[in-house]
Amino acid sequence: MRYLFAFVSCLLLGAAVPAFAQGDPAQHDEHLAVSEGPSIHLRGFTDIDFSQTDDKNSPDGFSLGQFAGHLSASLGPKVSFFGETSFTARSNGFTVEVERSILRYDYNDRLKVSVGRYHTPINYWNTAFHHGLWLQTTITRPEMIQMGGTFQPVHFVGVLAEGTVGPSGAGIGYNVGVGNGRGSIISRAGDAGDVNKNRAWLAKLYARPAALYGLEVGGSVYHDEVQVANTTDGFPELITGAYAALTTETPEVIAEFANVRHHDRATGIDYNSQAFYAQVASRLTAMPAFKPYARFEKMLGEQAEPVFGDVSSQTTTVGLRYELTDQAALKGEYRRMRHPVIGVVNGIYVQTAFTF
Amino acid sequence: MDSLRRAGLWVASLALIAFVAGASPASAQTRGDLAIVVHPDTPVSDLSFTELRQVFLGERQYWNANVPVVLLIRAPTSAERDAVLNVIYQMREPQFKQYWIAKIFRAEMTSPPKVVYSNESANQLVSSIPGTIAFMAANDVKPGVKVLRIDGHLPGEPGYRLHLSGK
Repeated sequence: MRYLFAFVSCLLLGAAVPAFAQGDPAQHDEHLAVSEGPSIHLRGFTDIDFSQTDDKNSPDGFSLGQFAGHLSASLGPKVSFFGETSFTARSNGFTVEVERSILRYDYNDRLKVSVGRYHTPINYWNTAFHHGLWLQTTITRPEMIQMGGTFQPVHFVGVLAEGTVGPSGAGIGYNVGVGNGRGSIISRAGDAGDVNKNRAWLAKLYARPAALYGLEVGGSVYHDEVQVANTTDGFPELITGAYAALTTETPEVIAEFANVRHHDRATGIDYNSQAFYAQVASRLTAMPAFKPYARFEKMLGEQAEPVFGDVSSQTTTVGLRYELTDQAALKGEYRRMRHPVIGVVNGIYVQTAFTF
Repeated sequence: MDSLRRAGLWVASLALIAFVAGASPASAQTRGDLAIVVHPDTPVSDLSFTELRQVFLGERQYWNANVPVVLLIRAPTSAERDAVLNVIYQMREPQFKQYWIAKIFRAEMTSPPKVVYSNESANQLVSSIPGTIAFMAANDVKPGVKVLRIDGHLPGEPGYRLHLSGK
């Protein structure tokens, strides 16, 4: 009788409680059947861009953005899988990349353990937006978190524990992980194994206090030993960062800071490179489809930095985001970048970013 | 004649009492309140408003190690959904959709809340499925579900802060 009741309940759940398919309540699958296999949610993100700059050495015109496919699946009451694959346009074709592949076990809210390839949980932007360009207000990421950039490792292969700590109202959470760290090309993760015997580790602590709705503040530490081509000794790397993000939309404020320290064993010198940005946006109350925004960012480096050289630059961005629909946005922005080698570059950028 | 007049007075008095009772602020408040209901076995009877918000935002995903939170949300264009978006989520519809898309994208949850089309469905599901939490007009609550106290108050009690008007 109990089993019959459970069976009927499941049927009822399947029939009357269709999945909140693709996050859009207007697109329910009313004929959702209950299967014995994993329940899978699929979502895609992509963008189409146009740029025009006064830099003679960079390509202009139209370009296809990354095409990212995201999959989440519940494999049982406490086990889930997250996967993400991207297709990126290159001058000689498209490259395919497994961006994330995570198998996670939830013990409860306080402890969730996973293995796989992650967006490295350092600071805010890298995990909050990453390939989901529709999710971010602006067209591009800040320079410190650029795809293919070297300042911060954007992907991480290893094991991660995460959860909440302290009283529930404080909304304090943590991430602690051990993994391979950067690969032999330091912009890439060590996907096929660690390039040295020193594992990377990271720790992040953040708070989403329920009383201060929409606010998240946090800090993180990341340690690795970076192997640079044509050198025998690795360079110990310590990244420390802090951030605050207010995502109420009226206003939206995001600010991050990170310091990357590389230790040169040969000379005993520590090299510090810093980066920060502050972004402000606000959805217009009278015209909620429009969201003007501005961002200022700065990177400070040293010329003798042995791992990624002088990263110094300063970028100012102003733009306007317009919501074409609930799942598609049109963005236009002006960007001015000052770089010690390239000089000053002015550019106009347009992007349509959407999710489906 | 006197007895007839006395009976008439009794009937008029009873009618007046019934009218006053029916129109009393407490009763009106009960009809206009939004009840938060859970499966009867859920190991929670009282939540603070901030704890309730954490549950609805998917920040709290387990009642305990063995019972996950199963959140049911009314489909759009219902007074209950409007009230919850206004008071608990403090979001408009587009923001609400974006919130859950982002939540899943960040691998914080595997699936968004389930959608129900009526309070009757919500009643049936909450009474059947362990861990389920839903919201509905207080006067639509049926036996078989547990109504949660929010900040120590039940719907209809003074100080209860969830109302269908969303104000």
